[in-house]
Amino acid sequence: MAIESSCDETSAAVSNKGKILANVIAGQKVHEAYGGVVPELASRAHQQNIIPVVDQALKEANVAKNDLQAVAFTNGPGLMGSLLVGTSFAKSFALALGIPIIEVNHMQAHILALFASREDEGVEYPEFPFLCLTVSGGHTQIVKVHDHLEMEVLGQTLDDAAGEAFDKIAKILGLPYPGGPLIDKMAVKGDPARFKFPVTRLSGLNFSFSGLKTAVLYFIQKQLSIDPEFIDKNLADLCASVQHTIVESLVIKLIEAAESEGIEHIGIAGGVSANSGLRSRLQAEAKGRGWKLFIPPFEFCTDNAAMIAVTGYYKYLNKQFSTQDSAPFARFSGMK
Amino acid sequence: MESAVTHTYTCSKPEELAAIASEILSEASGRRIFTLKGPLGAGKTTLVQYLCKSLGISDNVSSPTFTIMNEYLTGTADPVYHFDLYRIESENELFDFGYEVYFYSGNYCFIEWPEKAKNLIPATSAVIEIKPEADKRIITLSL
Repeated sequence: MAIESSCDETSAAVSNKGKILANVIAGQKVHEAYGGVVPELASRAHQQNIIPVVDQALKEANVAKNDLQAVAFTNGPGLMGSLLVGTSFAKSFALALGIPIIEVNHMQAHILALFASREDEGVEYPEFPFLCLTVSGGHTQIVKVHDHLEMEVLGQTLDDAAGEAFDKIAKILGLPYPGGPLIDKMAVKGDPARFKFPVTRLSGLNFSFSGLKTAVLYFIQKQLSIDPEFIDKNLADLCASVQHTIVESLVIKLIEAAESEGIEHIGIAGGVSANSGLRSRLQAEAKGRGWKLFIPPFEFCTDNAAMIAVTGYYKYLNKQFSTQDSAPFARFSGMK
Repeated sequence: MESAVTHTYTCSKPEELAAIASEILSEASGRRIFTLKGPLGAGKTTLVQYLCKSLGISDNVSSPTFTIMNEYLTGTADPVYHFDLYRIESENELFDFGYEVYFYSGNYCFIEWPEKAKNLIPATSAVIEIKPEADKRIITLSL
């Protein structure tokens, strides 16, 4: 059993030897076949969500509580109050069942989503060491993955995350929040070369997206003062140009990292890995550079407990158990 | 709350924020909670980066829009909490993540988009407002 409650989503998953049997996220529509009763619950209402999602995950997996071997849970980084719900639940659940608990780092788990699968066979996984670009609303990192549990952050954002840049620029363009997926949808019909926005290039492998947000804001304000209908007339081209710029910023650094590390197995993780512009650009780069590219199924990209289950499995094999004095941590301080 | 004292700073390039940040911290020396108001792209997170630098934070200070709260450490001093309430839809959500642990910790709290939780922001907060103008920012501190 694995529990995730670090930010918005309350999620529970059940896995057997690393294979995912169930992955339930509160608020998402439950498959009718399971007679799902998980109600429409608010984000971050973890206390109300946790029992229903655990219950549903056990049902979907068709596993009895007494058959569980261990409970893995996110112990950070995240919101303290949110993490406490998952941590307290996991500890008491495990105590009652007399099974061990396993602490999981949320950021490490995002990467190990690359090893999450509902299938037994025919799934290909990256070879170590590989590089992973983790991109979501909250994170933008390039990580060198030496082993399932040994990872090294090579670069990260110094201000806004890539997903946040999408969402906030969408807001500037008058799209509803979160507008990242809408930009992606509009971008398909637009010309990515129509408007030029700056790609912030820091030395090393770090990212910055705050400057792009401000550049788009000023550009839009200026254009609106000339033509109040500027956004409506050019929305598709604006979306395509913005998306092109963000993808370019990400890919430039990923290429730099791959070249300097001499690594050709590349993974992407996090919610923004669903972005079609990023996917097609990476697929093109992979073809040209002889990379092998790995993209997890979308259900394992956003915050979910399946990735916690996979990480928990590798820690279980290593006998990395914790004790009842386990406490959550809020701050990201590396991949431990 | 009626504000008694205000200080105004003009900033025409980001490098000037270091001096402004340390002035803000010394003017508001008794205060631990700072709210930051201003439109999207005004530079709220950037100012928090300089405020944290001035407090000796060596951690990477990044936007907490998605995470809602980031915690930063110094080598020896107490942690600093950086909030962004942009995604909050109702004040009740603050109870879900245990806001009181942070707001009443006695440690520095920098809160972006405080408008989202007006009733829960302690009355003793210092208010920082950033107004973007053509080529500069007007920063006002109200105590």
